[in-house]
Amino acid sequence: MKQFLVVSLLFIWSLAALAAGTQYVMRVDGLACPYCAYGIEKKLKKIDGVEKIDVDLEKGLVVVEVSEGVEITEPQMKQLFKDAGFTYRSMTKQPL
Amino acid sequence: MAVLEVTRLSGLGATLLVLLIGSPAWAHDPVFGLGPHVLYKGGVEVATEVHTDKAGDEQDTELGLELVYGITGDWAAGIELSYARKEEGPQSASGTGDVSLFTKYRFWRHDTLGAQESAAVLLKVKTDSGDDNATPALGTGTTDTILGLTYGYESLKWYRWASLRYRRNGENDAGLRRGDKILFDLVGGWRPTPPSYYEPDTVWLLELNGEYGKRAELNGVELANTGGTEWFLSPGIFWTKRNFAIKAGVQIPIASDLNGDQEETDYRAKLVLEWHL
Repeated sequence: MKQFLVVSLLFIWSLAALAAGTQYVMRVDGLACPYCAYGIEKKLKKIDGVEKIDVDLEKGLVVVEVSEGVEITEPQMKQLFKDAGFTYRSMTKQPL
Repeated sequence: MAVLEVTRLSGLGATLLVLLIGSPAWAHDPVFGLGPHVLYKGGVEVATEVHTDKAGDEQDTELGLELVYGITGDWAAGIELSYARKEEGPQSASGTGDVSLFTKYRFWRHDTLGAQESAAVLLKVKTDSGDDNATPALGTGTTDTILGLTYGYESLKWYRWASLRYRRNGENDAGLRRGDKILFDLVGGWRPTPPSYYEPDTVWLLELNGEYGKRAELNGVELANTGGTEWFLSPGIFWTKRNFAIKAGVQIPIASDLNGDQEETDYRAKLVLEWHL
């Protein structure tokens, strides 16, 4: 019974984690002013499932949180940042 | 015909003043000079600006509306509409000014952490569309072309720009051709506090603007009291919050070598409100 409860709790926890979506952290060069970076926000918001965007200018990071099941790819981001006028470097992802 | 020529010539000084300012708003660029900034692909920039020039008893004020579209991440194009008011001694007139079309292409960009260095070329064509029958004339009655080259470096703390523009002026129906212009700008910028994306951001600017004008010609004959050189020192500010920007600056003349008998510029001022949509 105890084992069943633990397994059930783990299952529910993992479901909740999946439902919470994914956080992508992208390293971007050329971010020198907030006003200029607005194009990034605008383009990211066009992607279905993007829930939160933050830009850390000093560290050159663009942090994007997406909802469950939404995937962001490197080629997609390379193009997006090129169109926004910046240079995409790398990306890491982690579940929320 | 002679009366018409004299009338047009009397408006020459004021015309020269207003046309020098015609630098599109362009995002994070200097207030009076030219920078390499363009617009993100698919982006729309709407800017409204007012600028005023005073030289002796001539005062020109122009209200402009600009629309810019980002064709790619490095190429943008736009249109500028204007409403002008001119005063020359006892005479004054107001109405639509000339319409301009412009495009800018950023041909080089080097991005590093927290900094962007780039260079661009600009082409601007001022059409013969304003009211040049008013006294003083609100349009030049000519189609003029501006070609510009600019370099810029932006970082989280410091900014620097350099630009060179050449303005080729057309000839109006009366045979008057205003002298071609060369404009040179050196600009420095300083951001006192580190920027945060969702917070307001301020950059202080100091520009050195130089202008050299050839003599105007009437039916091929040079006019003595036209052309020359002026230098300005121009403090300015760039304030932004998200997709909204305010740019403002004043051009203060520091040196002048105008040909013959001409009114020297007292000051020029510019205020720009800009949105990225």
